[in-house]
Amino acid sequence: MAFDEYAGAPDSALLVAFANGDSAAARLLVVRLSPRALGQAQRMLNDRAAAEDVVQEAFLRLWKIAPDWRQGEAQVSTWLYRVVANLCTDRLRVRRRNVDFDKIAEPEDSAPSVAQKMQDEARHDALAAALAEMPERQAQAVSLRHLEGLGNPEIAQIMDISVEAVESLTARGKRTLASILASKKAELGFNDE
Amino acid sequence: MSDKLSHLTDAQLEEMFASARTSDPVPDADFMARMFADIDSIVPQVEPVVADAPRRSVLASIWAALGGWAGASGLAAAAATGIWIGVASPTSMATVSDAFWGDSMSVSVMVPDDILGLEG
Repeated sequence: MAFDEYAGAPDSALLVAFANGDSAAARLLVVRLSPRALGQAQRMLNDRAAAEDVVQEAFLRLWKIAPDWRQGEAQVSTWLYRVVANLCTDRLRVRRRNVDFDKIAEPEDSAPSVAQKMQDEARHDALAAALAEMPERQAQAVSLRHLEGLGNPEIAQIMDISVEAVESLTARGKRTLASILASKKAELGFNDE
Repeated sequence: MSDKLSHLTDAQLEEMFASARTSDPVPDADFMARMFADIDSIVPQVEPVVADAPRRSVLASIWAALGGWAGASGLAAAAATGIWIGVASPTSMATVSDAFWGDSMSVSVMVPDDILGLEG
């Protein structure tokens, strides 16, 4: 693969090269960006197979818009964050009808490290289920801020809204989340004093 | 509806986020193969972006043959000079020639009559 010739080239240049028929440029984009996209989808969905499907669909959309991509207007990584977040909330919306909150496994007593791992898994499941319950924009803002660790200005770009709107969405999202998870405190290992 | 006191605290919410904040997974070979197969199936459909070749009219071709604006400006300067020389008064031309040649002088191109110096 002719990856070396593109070493250091910006993502948008690779996309334009692909639009001109260079598949090696597209492969390098996949190598560069798919792990993070996969991580984002996995964190939102807590389902590896579904996360892979989301990322595959996101890249398919990227290849299709490649001929119309205008360099300098947006970053490919920002575009990808947005599309992955949208595809994840689409999936969560479908899942909302099917998820039974009460069936999220409660960790059993085991060795400490295993118990901790199981509790983390149960919490991640509950978080994904709660994101499915939330209004989509709140879920996206909360996940980009608290799961991806992005700053408000970057989230504003991704969601195409103002920084103030991001702050408001994130704050409301956290309140919604706290409310949804309120009745699951004991199962999630939170014991009020 | 649960009351406010039973909501998760900020610290508890942070623990929830931490449980999901896993590092990016390493894509496996099957996944990468699917992604690359998608690329191969789409590349032939992507039409190369080719800039349209500029089309020139006959006038544009003549204009280009004259050297475009650069050529035209030289041509205009020469034409203006010609017109000025044509309409300028003789006096002003004399001024120009005086300025060029300096004081007038005469040069005889004929052999003097007394070539042998016989006259007084």
